[in-house]
Amino acid sequence: MTFDYNQQHLIKMANQIAGNMPTRENVPAQIVQHMMQFWTPPMRADLKKIAEHTAELLSDDVLAAVAMQD
Amino acid sequence: MNKPIEIAIEDLDLGTPAALSESTVTVHIDGKAVDVPAGTSIMRAASLAGTQIPKLCATDSLDAHGSCRLCLVEVEGRKGTPASCTTPCQEGMSVKTQTPRLDKLRKGVMELYISDHPLDCLTCSANGDCELQDMAGVVGLRSVRYEEGSNHLDAGKDNSNPYFSFDASKCIVCSRCVRACSEVQGTFALTIAARGFESKVSPSEENAFLDSECVSCGACVQACPTATLQEKQVIDLGVPTRKVKTTCAYCGVGCSFVAELRGDELVRMVPDKQGGANAGHSCVKGRFAWGYATHSDRITRPMVRETTDSEWREVEWPEAIAFAADRFKAIQQKHGIDALGGITSSRCTNEEVYVVQKMVRASLQTNNVDTCARVCHSPTGYGLKQTFGTSAGTQDFASVQQADVIMVIGANPTDAHPVFGSRMKRRLREGAKLIVIDPRSIDLVKSPHIKATSHLQLQPGTNVAVVNALAHVIATEGWIDEAFVQERCDVASFNAWRRFISLPENSPENLAEISGVAAETIREAAATYAKAGNSAIYYGLGVTEHSQGSTMVMAMANLAMATGNIGRDGVGINPLRGQNNVQGACDMGSFPHEFSGYRHVSDETAREQFTALWGVDLREEPGMRIPNMLDAAISGNFRGMYIQGEDIAQSDPNSQHVAAALSAMDCVVVQDLFLNETSKFAHVFLPGTSFLEKDGTFTNAERRINRVRPVVPPASGLAEWQVTCALSEAMGYTMDYANASEIMDEIAALTPTFAGVSFDLLDERGSIQWPCNEQAPEGTPIMHAQRFVRGEGQFVTTPYVPTDERSTRKFPLLLTTGRILSQYNVGAQTRRTDNTVWHAEDILEIHEADAELRGVADGDWIEVASRAGSTRMRAHISDDIPAGVVYTTFHHPVSGTNVITTDNSDWATNCPEYKVTAVEIRPSSAIAVGM
Repeated sequence: MTFDYNQQHLIKMANQIAGNMPTRENVPAQIVQHMMQFWTPPMRADLKKIAEHTAELLSDDVLAAVAMQD
Repeated sequence: MNKPIEIAIEDLDLGTPAALSESTVTVHIDGKAVDVPAGTSIMRAASLAGTQIPKLCATDSLDAHGSCRLCLVEVEGRKGTPASCTTPCQEGMSVKTQTPRLDKLRKGVMELYISDHPLDCLTCSANGDCELQDMAGVVGLRSVRYEEGSNHLDAGKDNSNPYFSFDASKCIVCSRCVRACSEVQGTFALTIAARGFESKVSPSEENAFLDSECVSCGACVQACPTATLQEKQVIDLGVPTRKVKTTCAYCGVGCSFVAELRGDELVRMVPDKQGGANAGHSCVKGRFAWGYATHSDRITRPMVRETTDSEWREVEWPEAIAFAADRFKAIQQKHGIDALGGITSSRCTNEEVYVVQKMVRASLQTNNVDTCARVCHSPTGYGLKQTFGTSAGTQDFASVQQADVIMVIGANPTDAHPVFGSRMKRRLREGAKLIVIDPRSIDLVKSPHIKATSHLQLQPGTNVAVVNALAHVIATEGWIDEAFVQERCDVASFNAWRRFISLPENSPENLAEISGVAAETIREAAATYAKAGNSAIYYGLGVTEHSQGSTMVMAMANLAMATGNIGRDGVGINPLRGQNNVQGACDMGSFPHEFSGYRHVSDETAREQFTALWGVDLREEPGMRIPNMLDAAISGNFRGMYIQGEDIAQSDPNSQHVAAALSAMDCVVVQDLFLNETSKFAHVFLPGTSFLEKDGTFTNAERRINRVRPVVPPASGLAEWQVTCALSEAMGYTMDYANASEIMDEIAALTPTFAGVSFDLLDERGSIQWPCNEQAPEGTPIMHAQRFVRGEGQFVTTPYVPTDERSTRKFPLLLTTGRILSQYNVGAQTRRTDNTVWHAEDILEIHEADAELRGVADGDWIEVASRAGSTRMRAHISDDIPAGVVYTTFHHPVSGTNVITTDNSDWATNCPEYKVTAVEIRPSSAIAVGM
């Protein structure tokens, strides 16, 4: 799968959010809450597609967060 | 268009500053009893009693000097004739201000002054606005008995400053200018050189004004009682004949001004003594740099073009509006409603911003609206909301006068917020301690009569590490204010934070190598901050514009809560906002996830209120931020944008990416004063209004809502909000307002923190600090006094995560950017004024060792390259910057500073990481951009 600039940026943003969450407890839930507050539905949908096709580009916490949104 | 409002302006000069004592004394002035605070001068008491004692060296913005001897009075029971300006009132004192003896003395003093003064009153530029002339009349001077002798009538003029003239022949050596420079501005550029008859005002060591340390704030000009120091505009145009109170449109200090005009021609801007933010002071930009408003580059007619490579075509307003609306509708039909969006401007009024975000949400039916605060203080919004419950600074500016310790982090107040910088310097001269956390040695670190107690000269990108280390020391040394935490804060979050911050990984010793700050220096600073009675933090974009900008804001909030430095005068967390209305633009619902008053779009109660009043269904999902919109444009999903007063092609990071995104759009609408870098990609140009033409409000960094009153009519014929409403109407949604006041009424109806605000109230009270509502009808100077907005203060753990942007062998230096005094933001305004005399180009500051290693000499052209791009500018070798770090500004499009900044951003808000870019420099030929 190739990514456009938008998707590359989403990958970076998601991993960065995961790495900066204040507490290390239940990071996926914190990521979900953050994305629901600040990300548009298409951005969340794009991230889901990325997770489905190239999971290796996303951190475990991001992948868990994407799974929680299903 | 409302008729310009001219309101009563209080000109009375009470002679000496107010005394601050809470006890009062009663004195009798010419038999009239008057109660005044203890310590009040006789001169001020007399003024308050309605008697103006003649004066020349006294003015109520300066401490009494007692040199002119014109204000002499008689005090019952005392010998002699003391100066009323330097003599404090005492209980029961009986004062005579008018007696034959006083009349004779005053006339004699005036006669001496006039004997060495040009007798050219009728042709003098200050005729009718000269205190010397007034006083000659007041004392009844009719002739001068002294024969012609030695005098200063041939003393020369200094016209070196572009804005004011110094005519030494008219100087009476009253020292008001010298004292204004010292007491009000705090620069100490002026002195009285020599003694006796040879005494004269001297900038620095008898330099010309332009060559001296003078920062051109104009305080000396304002203080001068004669035509000695005078605005060149007054000399050229004559004394003003009418006045309008309004608010400066430069930085977030939000100074109040009196615009003085002859007809519709602005003659000068005089800072308003009653101004809550500035108390009669100003900087070079606010007082003098307003000529851009009538610059020949101003675009005052709408323009359209089919493609960005075709010529602009001037059209009438209806055609421009129809053109934009047709394009936007076509985009919606082809690509969907989320293919459009808008950006609001922190340079515009609350009312103008509000209607743009309303147009986007209600008319375009998308939440794709963002504001230029995205690239400056969005982390402040996030961080302070998480910890305190709302996105705002906690104090008023006057609070700094009660601070015992001032911690300045990533800010340069004397350059970027100069009027507040002067207020801060006054407090520091009084003895408050100063901690500076900044890679650069900013002026505050060491300036006349000021020396920082600690300068934590950290590596760019390590803010969180340093503040964590400070907090570690405070927590482990037992300096926590336990009572405050237990009473005011969420204790569970505090306990978690205490466990985290006490870990060895957060110790100064562990973080010293990463941050570049010695552990001992951090321990000393922690003790200084924690052990003072009142400690206040002031911060700027050096905090927010990092990959951990939001984390850093929360780390500072933790520090303040842990030490109980919140909720009273002299303490707090204070963002110094970059532009005039950053606070207001954020308050007005400019962020894609929030309505006005910081209520999330998914909040059903809030959404129902807006839906009911706006008469349209609103989306409950957040829209795109600016970087998301630009990314989506490059992907082909975002096709049109309304850009209000924001030059994103110059100001936003990674300029090539911004240009590519704008190029990919089908319709870019720019509403601005001038064609700029962004308008190169625009299809519609809607001429905007300068602050002199606006009617509305700005909200400054201390949440102070100030009126902006129209000084002259809009050059384009329409107010900006009228243009936005016209576009909304053409898109099918009517926004019907008769004037800007009605927009504020709607804001107040929908925004709980603005519930009590109206133009009438602002006209009555001068200004109001929000929250202003039923609970706080007179506004709220200090926030979180009894409880935090969110209830209990929330501690947040703040692990340090290094930025991805690191120096490498290829890019071994770290570039950080900032602003200088004479220029502002992208320079659209200041570059079109004489301020260019101080800063005609962006320059790269570099440490001597780094320059020598690369064979670069001072003034050389160099190439600066990062992984994003490269540009050229001149180098300046400076010891203000440590080895390994370089610094520049971004005021000039020709230097293209943001060509080299990257698209790294804050993890929570996407605020760009302007402050850390790995670069390399090398000597370059003079065949450079801008040559």
